[in-house]
Amino acid sequence: MKTIFYERHAALKAKMVDFGGWNMPLHYATGIIEEHLATRKNAGLFDVSHMGRVVFRGKGALLFLQHVLTNNAQALPIGQSQYTIIPNAKGGAIDDAYLYRFFKDEYILVVNAANRQSDWDYFQNIIKKFKEVEIFDKTEELAMISLQGPMSKTILNNIIDSGSMPEPLKNQLSIVKIKGIEVLIGRTGYTGEPLGFELFIDKNHALKIWDILIEQRATPVGLGARDTLRLEAGLPLYGHELNLDINPLEAGLEKYVCFEKENFIGKEALTGIKKKGLSRKLMYILMIDQAIPRYGYSIKNGEDVIGAITSGSYAPTLKKGIALGYIDIEHAQIGRDVSIEIRNKPYRAKIVKGPFYRKGTIGESHAKPCIQKN
Amino acid sequence: MYPKELKYTKTHEWVKNEDGEAVIGITRYAVEKLKDIVFIELPSIGAKVTKDSPFGTIESVKAVFELNSPVSGEVIAVNEAVNTSVDKVVKDPHGDGWIIRVKLKEQSELDNLLSKEEYEKFIQDIPKEG
Repeated sequence: MKTIFYERHAALKAKMVDFGGWNMPLHYATGIIEEHLATRKNAGLFDVSHMGRVVFRGKGALLFLQHVLTNNAQALPIGQSQYTIIPNAKGGAIDDAYLYRFFKDEYILVVNAANRQSDWDYFQNIIKKFKEVEIFDKTEELAMISLQGPMSKTILNNIIDSGSMPEPLKNQLSIVKIKGIEVLIGRTGYTGEPLGFELFIDKNHALKIWDILIEQRATPVGLGARDTLRLEAGLPLYGHELNLDINPLEAGLEKYVCFEKENFIGKEALTGIKKKGLSRKLMYILMIDQAIPRYGYSIKNGEDVIGAITSGSYAPTLKKGIALGYIDIEHAQIGRDVSIEIRNKPYRAKIVKGPFYRKGTIGESHAKPCIQKN
Repeated sequence: MYPKELKYTKTHEWVKNEDGEAVIGITRYAVEKLKDIVFIELPSIGAKVTKDSPFGTIESVKAVFELNSPVSGEVIAVNEAVNTSVDKVVKDPHGDGWIIRVKLKEQSELDNLLSKEEYEKFIQDIPKEG
């Protein structure tokens, strides 16, 4: 499949790859490192239209979402969004997603491209038991782009003709007009940048908005830098840090699981896991030796394998090898020295406090809506 | 663009014969294709290399590639500058960005490598991506 921006990618001489069934830009002419740094220094423009946009509409939408998601959708007022997980009955992750509430009885759930069909089938099965809720797949008619980095706010301010920016915190939403085109904006993103926005635009007008953002000197960024940016920010990627056999607690995502909700799929299993204690934990690993850790490499303590890398790369901002990986609980301590087995040789690394990259503080609103008992 | 005095491989390494010693590097084409090169892992001095077998690795942001030796012999020098930064390889792959120097075991191994013209034709025929 091709997104509405395909011709733009081709004109920019992007190297295209298949991702979740979509033909997407891996990088443009300048390459991953340049695109990564442009996002950190100025503003990066990402085509994220390959992600699934599932809309739930009706008075019963909230009740359904509360049942199938871990986070507390009830805490979302109109104009807010939150990170959430779609759990299975065992507490594993069917997908991770972002839930946006732009309107009263309508929610947009943005899911991973590769899981769009399986999420859809899963929801179809359960939604039959719920009243006054309709489900629509708006992936194709509603294009989605992401504008991230320190200049992103200035750029949007320059081009908005009416409506206000989503302020002041992450997860805030607003509806604006740009050159007469209605754009839904979320102050969200996948780069760790304190300033970053995701835009939903009717597909018939989406190219015009893309062109305006390019004119405003946003740098087009492909999936390669999207991955290095999210990894520096320590954000999970489904299929790597999360899957059907990994629960959100061991992934360090407990604050997005609302145990106070009356009931939801997976609550019983997750409550049991929490009570029993974790057997492994997702940790941040920084290379000491000059080497790049990659997916699947073993994490060792001396001769013993104590874990495995789920995502690893060269980090363009840090200029070092970084990784995320699951480590057996008895070894999962910040500050510990470990080694990473790369082509049958051990390379020195350290378990560090995440994320690898943090600029200022990113205030989050309504991502943590449950009253946590500390 | 590709110097006449070098011989080339289909895996995009080059070799230059200097009185029984072979200087080995990677081609401009390889540098451009790999794009985001970040590290090159070199063999140690004294290591034995074998024609068409890996002697080191080159890492880009996205992937790892093997460096294959165009000839057999013993490593007598490595480009130390490459250990700390890949800049020289990226800027001048056929010159200052050389990678290793090998004492040649069999001079004749150089004979069946590609000439400048053959290599240029070879890369022209590689289908363009994206």
